[in-house]
Amino acid sequence: MKRPATILAFALFALTTLIVMYRIVWLKYPVLPTVPGQVWRLSFEARIQPEGQEIIAAIGLPAEQAGRVLTEERITSDTLNFNLFQEGMNRIGLWSGTSDKEAAIVTYEGSLLLRPHRFPASHNPTLAANMPVIKDDEEAFIERFSAKWRTLDSQQRFKAVTSVAGGRQEESNLSREDLDAWNKLEEKHGRSGALLILLKAAGLPARTVSGLLLVRGVQTSPATWVEAWDGKQWQNLDPQTGRVYSDPSMLLALTTAGTPVVQVTKGQILDTRWSLERQVMSKWRLHFERIKRSQRLLDRWSFFSIPEEFQNVFRILLLVPLGALMICLLRNVIGFPTFGIFMPVLLALAFRSTGLAYGIGIFTSVVLIGYTARRGIDRFRLLLVPRLSALLTLVIICFGLFALIGGKLSLRALMGVGLLPIVILTMSIERFFVLIEESGVHEALRTAAGTVAVAVITFLIIQWEPLQLTFFIYPELLFAVAGVQVLLGRYTGYRVSELLRFKALVRKKR
Amino acid sequence: MIFQLFNELNDAGILGMNRRNAEYIMRYNPRARFPIVDNKILTKQLAREYDVPTPELYHVIEHHGDIAGLEEALGDHREFALKPARGSGGSGIILIVDRRPEGFVIQSGRVMSREDFTYHISAILSGIYSLAGQEDVAIIEALIHPAPIFAEVTYGGVPDIRIIVYRGVPVMAMTRLPTRASDGKANLHAGAVGAGIDIGRGVTLTAVHRSKVITHHPDTGNPIEGVNIPYWDSLLLTAAKAFDMTDLGYIGVDLVIDLNRGPLLLELNARPGLQIQVANESGLWERLESVNRAPPEVFFRAEDRVAWAKNAFTVLKG
Repeated sequence: MKRPATILAFALFALTTLIVMYRIVWLKYPVLPTVPGQVWRLSFEARIQPEGQEIIAAIGLPAEQAGRVLTEERITSDTLNFNLFQEGMNRIGLWSGTSDKEAAIVTYEGSLLLRPHRFPASHNPTLAANMPVIKDDEEAFIERFSAKWRTLDSQQRFKAVTSVAGGRQEESNLSREDLDAWNKLEEKHGRSGALLILLKAAGLPARTVSGLLLVRGVQTSPATWVEAWDGKQWQNLDPQTGRVYSDPSMLLALTTAGTPVVQVTKGQILDTRWSLERQVMSKWRLHFERIKRSQRLLDRWSFFSIPEEFQNVFRILLLVPLGALMICLLRNVIGFPTFGIFMPVLLALAFRSTGLAYGIGIFTSVVLIGYTARRGIDRFRLLLVPRLSALLTLVIICFGLFALIGGKLSLRALMGVGLLPIVILTMSIERFFVLIEESGVHEALRTAAGTVAVAVITFLIIQWEPLQLTFFIYPELLFAVAGVQVLLGRYTGYRVSELLRFKALVRKKR
Repeated sequence: MIFQLFNELNDAGILGMNRRNAEYIMRYNPRARFPIVDNKILTKQLAREYDVPTPELYHVIEHHGDIAGLEEALGDHREFALKPARGSGGSGIILIVDRRPEGFVIQSGRVMSREDFTYHISAILSGIYSLAGQEDVAIIEALIHPAPIFAEVTYGGVPDIRIIVYRGVPVMAMTRLPTRASDGKANLHAGAVGAGIDIGRGVTLTAVHRSKVITHHPDTGNPIEGVNIPYWDSLLLTAAKAFDMTDLGYIGVDLVIDLNRGPLLLELNARPGLQIQVANESGLWERLESVNRAPPEVFFRAEDRVAWAKNAFTVLKG
């Protein structure tokens, strides 16, 4: 009797495992499809004036690194040709061609996902090629400072460099001559050039980096900072203050080793702008992009292939069976009393548009108003169907009132009631009334509380984004859910509530 | 911790809701036979074929249009019971003890106006009291005058006797005694007292009221234990025959003892509740399993099944 159900359940589990394994091993799906982190949207726009109708412009673009994933890159090139190439560590977009317009507009857009705690890897340092030309003056300077720091280890030397560049004399222990030499160097080579020479004097590999600070807003020219190897890792130094940037993940490098971000060999740049925007939903889009480009069968048949507005519906729908499973558990194993079987699932779905607190408030007040009305119309002796219709009308009137009140108070949650399962709510009112009449207030309140409790639990499950994503990427998990449901269908053990119900009996036996 | 508590229920041989549904109701009660027990008219017809006495059927109201001719159809019956044919748990039942020009006198002595009475019938017809809310018919049958066996431990209404019959063997029994709270209804959920009955001797045992074990009736204050039930063998036999009538392996048989006609079959229930275990302070599962272990020859005749049950399920006291 029990075995066929168990076989079916385990066949479903096996099917799920097979498909999931296929996706992970062959299609290289991420094992944990949730990606914590933040996403920035970078848009770049440049207007370039042609020189005799010709334009050649090389522009540094962000590159993928550990802890940094690029997606959804989009490039427009006006009438120009576009080529992408790697130049050392730099990723350069080259726009070239002819334009008969006054200015050609080229754009780049991309989404950048930062994973916290995974910074760009520290490589074995190689000295950068953008060192200022070293002549006698510089040679003398390097000798002066390296003699001074000979006894220190590389981290101490790095610290000494930051105190010199930061102008903190008391720490750096400089003589007047030292200071003069440093100031002269700064005047000659600018702050970042001088800093590079100072780092050379300290024997620390260093290079300049041009890029953007990850802050919301528009930047019209890239920032430059100095990367230096302190013996353990690359440190990012702000040449203006001599300080180390506290959060390296907030810097977006575009070009390194002195390559300018924007290089125009033919034509003239009129203006450039980089704008950065934080994105909220893009965790989601990240996988979307990846799977959309794939030609594999399961990828093409994934839910990512349907239009985005429907995707959001399926994110929730795929979790509804899980909500139903919860109800199986709570009713058959725990023994929660609820109005109707799937009422709590529908309530949970409705809570999505109202939020939990307002949802429960609305549910409670509609049932109470409905109950009062139901008591009132009881003496008119209306027949069942017309009576339920009247209650339904009342429920709709309540929703209308809530929406109007919500509109006045600018409370969107009160206006979101439209999706509350009105028919089911009407039936709940009737059942609540009958339950009070037949089994007493206590029983009715218990059932109402059970309904709300199950709805809240279900709501928390279907709102949990990592779970939504998991089921969306691996919809075959539904087979496993069905398997558990089949197994629960053969659960003949006691319900937790029966412990209480038959307590007297157990005591007697002992 | 929780498994240990489950084990205690297990050791006490208690039947839980899940096991009742999966291993007994779904296994022994074929869905196709449910209408027989869910519809009181069908039950009555079948009972007549098996010579099982039921309350006399006076009239059936099938359509709203029939309500107008009701008074005429009632003839000179002054007292009767109005019931939904497919009602459950005793809901929708009205007991009329007299007819007067201004209306119908219900059991409590209150007069129900004709209008109210008609409304109630149409409510029955529209399916308010039926199990799944589908349209129903109203039946009017003879009013039961309970034999005064339980008079000491009943507050108004008609006490009835529920016997659980498994594969034709009566396994557990209780009497349901109305209280003031249950408003004359013999329904445990409504607040009636359920008193266990020793299958072997036909004598009441301890009782349950609102999930608690009690010894005295909450309204009359009289001890519930020790009431001798007359016609006990005949009641058990009727219950055992209900299996032959319905082919349902796990049913609750509701009986009453009428002052004039003796034991009558009131209705059958294909999903009998589990509270009877508390009333008997005994687990049903244990008894069902011992029926499964009974020798096959026991099951052939209703009389044999009753004899076997009386021997197997007696509580020997003192």
